[in-house]
Amino acid sequence: MSNKGTSLKGLLLVVLLVSNILLTKEGVTSLPICPNGSVNCQVSLGELFERAVKLSHSIHFLASEIFNEFDERYAQGRGFIAKAVNGCHTSSLTTPEDKEQAQQIHHEDLLNVVLGVLRSWNDPLIHLASEVQRIKEAPDTILWKAVEIEEQNKRLLEGIEKIIGRVHSGETGNEIYSQWEGLPSLQLADEDSRLFAFYNLLHCFRRDSHKIDNYLKLLKCRLIHDSNC
Amino acid sequence: DLLQWPQISKCRSPELETFSCYWTDGNYYNLTAPGTIQLLYMKRNDEDWKECPDYITAGENSCYFNTSYTSIWIPYCVKLANKDEVFDEKCFSVDEIVLPDPPVHLNWTLLNTSQTGIHGDIQVRWDPPPTADVQKGWITLEYELQYKEVNETKWKELEPRLSTMVPLYSLKMGRDYEIRVRSRQRTSEKFGEFSEILYVSFSQAGFEFVHCAEELEFPWFLVVIFGACGLAVTVILILLSKQPRLKMLIFPPVPVPKIKGIDTDLLKKGKLDEVNSILASHDNYKTQLYNDDLWVEFIELDIEDPDVKNRVSDTDRLLTEDHLKSHNCLGAKDDDSGRASCCEPDIPETDFSASDTCDAISDIDQFKKATEKEEDLLCLDRKDNDESLPSLADTDTQQPHSTTRSENSQPWPPFTDSIDSASPSVHTQLSNQNSLTNTDFYTQVSDITPAGSVVLSPGQKNKMGRTQCEGCTEQNFTMDNAYFCEADVKKCIAVTSHEEDEPHVQEQSCNEDAYFTTESLTTTGINLGASTAETPSSEMPVPDYTSIHIVHSPQGLVLNATALPVPDKEFNMSCGYVSTDQLNKIMP
Repeated sequence: MSNKGTSLKGLLLVVLLVSNILLTKEGVTSLPICPNGSVNCQVSLGELFERAVKLSHSIHFLASEIFNEFDERYAQGRGFIAKAVNGCHTSSLTTPEDKEQAQQIHHEDLLNVVLGVLRSWNDPLIHLASEVQRIKEAPDTILWKAVEIEEQNKRLLEGIEKIIGRVHSGETGNEIYSQWEGLPSLQLADEDSRLFAFYNLLHCFRRDSHKIDNYLKLLKCRLIHDSNC
Repeated sequence: DLLQWPQISKCRSPELETFSCYWTDGNYYNLTAPGTIQLLYMKRNDEDWKECPDYITAGENSCYFNTSYTSIWIPYCVKLANKDEVFDEKCFSVDEIVLPDPPVHLNWTLLNTSQTGIHGDIQVRWDPPPTADVQKGWITLEYELQYKEVNETKWKELEPRLSTMVPLYSLKMGRDYEIRVRSRQRTSEKFGEFSEILYVSFSQAGFEFVHCAEELEFPWFLVVIFGACGLAVTVILILLSKQPRLKMLIFPPVPVPKIKGIDTDLLKKGKLDEVNSILASHDNYKTQLYNDDLWVEFIELDIEDPDVKNRVSDTDRLLTEDHLKSHNCLGAKDDDSGRASCCEPDIPETDFSASDTCDAISDIDQFKKATEKEEDLLCLDRKDNDESLPSLADTDTQQPHSTTRSENSQPWPPFTDSIDSASPSVHTQLSNQNSLTNTDFYTQVSDITPAGSVVLSPGQKNKMGRTQCEGCTEQNFTMDNAYFCEADVKKCIAVTSHEEDEPHVQEQSCNEDAYFTTESLTTTGINLGASTAETPSSEMPVPDYTSIHIVHSPQGLVLNATALPVPDKEFNMSCGYVSTDQLNKIMP
């Protein structure tokens, strides 16, 4: 009898394990995407925008914080502020400068602009996360924020690509993005110059992340809530 | 007065569409010639400084940039200057200087009241600042609400939130409240200005309310009561733990394995012989101990002529077996617990107890091990060699050593057998040995007491010559060796006393001891009575350490010298000698 019982238990366990494996293969994510029973399981555009706006807000928040911490820790007394008027590598991209321009631009173009900016920042953020660790006595908060920013930026990039895939009626426009050449400046031997390069990069990214956040919120209100957020 | 230069106090954008800058005059105008102060600005891509487009709209000492002049995310620099000099300069971008206007249209509604009518919940609502274009999503604001009672001084703050309505819970309905709200851009740190204060008064709404006495802010008496109870419980527990009986009652001790009669301390101290004796009192152990002891057998000794005995192989036999014994004895010094307290080097002549602490058990083990130590042989040999026994002018001394040696080399068991079997061989051995050692061979069994004890006699008069058996063994060894210890001691004592009456308790690792040991070993099976102070050979001038004094262990006997004023001491451990009493106990 006991043998039977143990074998039954074993069988049950095996069944549970197999079913668990099969279930997890479906790729359950934290957010439920598909409502039950729908054949064409797709996340709604509104949900996509919701997630994108959340990500962009989080990225901008982290960028502000990391910039403030860096400013406090390394930039005091070095006169970086005055020099921060230097251009960012994304300045060459044409982006709406104010609300009217942003409202007039077509949402597809605006999405492309967002994509271009995000692509331009993909590379610098990777290098930022790695190079910031070489700064002498870099606080842990700066380190993990840099890593987190880089990860979230990647996710936002994927999300925007998905949105573009949904929204674009015609052919996908070629995204214009600017190459970043600033890696050598992050690896300068002179510490002052190197720190200023970091300062500049963080300052530029704070600005650009704010830009992206604003554009996406504008788009979300326009497309999803019909300009009535 | 200090000259205060004009300064740009702040630049601010309320809605991310326009911005304005404000400055202070200072007392410059009073001190110097009045000139016109200008605010110049430059955008990043400009080449030259431009003048402020609007000095009026924002008020005095201000410059207003409308939407056409405002570009977001682009660095600006503004400077305050007159024709000659620059007073102040600032660089920024518009997205960094956002400070929204205060919210408008604050109002509140009552949600519900408590049953007692003392407290109530309200919901406060407001509208975002009109300038901020929140609907299109161009700017996202979050709000912070603060409230307080009218006569209080400190404002209570709520967490910043995105929604434009907030419930306030548990307000006292008998009091009036003030509420204010301010906003900021969501990712900024700085808040804008506060809105106008909203007054909340329940009486105005015509609600019934009850004026209640002040509630207890904190139930102090509850704290006191519970604290006292906890303290009392703790004190009781402490008291309980101090009382061993109660503690036993509550926490009964876990029984540990224990053998009746044996104290673990005994084992720790290493008093193995005591333990052994106790263990031996249990039947099982006894059988174990004595199972394999071939030599623990009854020795039948025939009492013959002492002279014959002298020559007889008793000695020899003892000697031959002896080497094993001696080996063991000698080798006994190696290990074994309890050896530590073995025979002390300096034993007073009359104090044979000095040699106690030798572990009979250890001796037994050693014998069993049959560790071959050269020393034993050496002892014998040396004795043979070194000893020039002038006094031992015995014919027996001429006996060849080889015999003894060869006999010594014989294994132990045969010896016991031989002992059991025949005395003659022993006698021969003894005689041989006698030739070597002579006087100190208390190996002649001169008598057997009715009780079964064996009375040994030295058998030889020539104990004079025998003094030190030097080099036989170290002191420790002799001491350790049950047999040797005693024998040595006694022999030496006997000898010395015989000669000079000097206590000579140094390690006389004379082989004669072996004889003793043999005897003692064999006497384990013998129920030895009290030491009979019989002198086996009355003719022997040497004191006979032949009376069993103490049976220390199954393998050992403490032989008492009858001739000597041996104190009737009861020494528990003398190199393996077992006191008779113990022996009595041990033997069935």
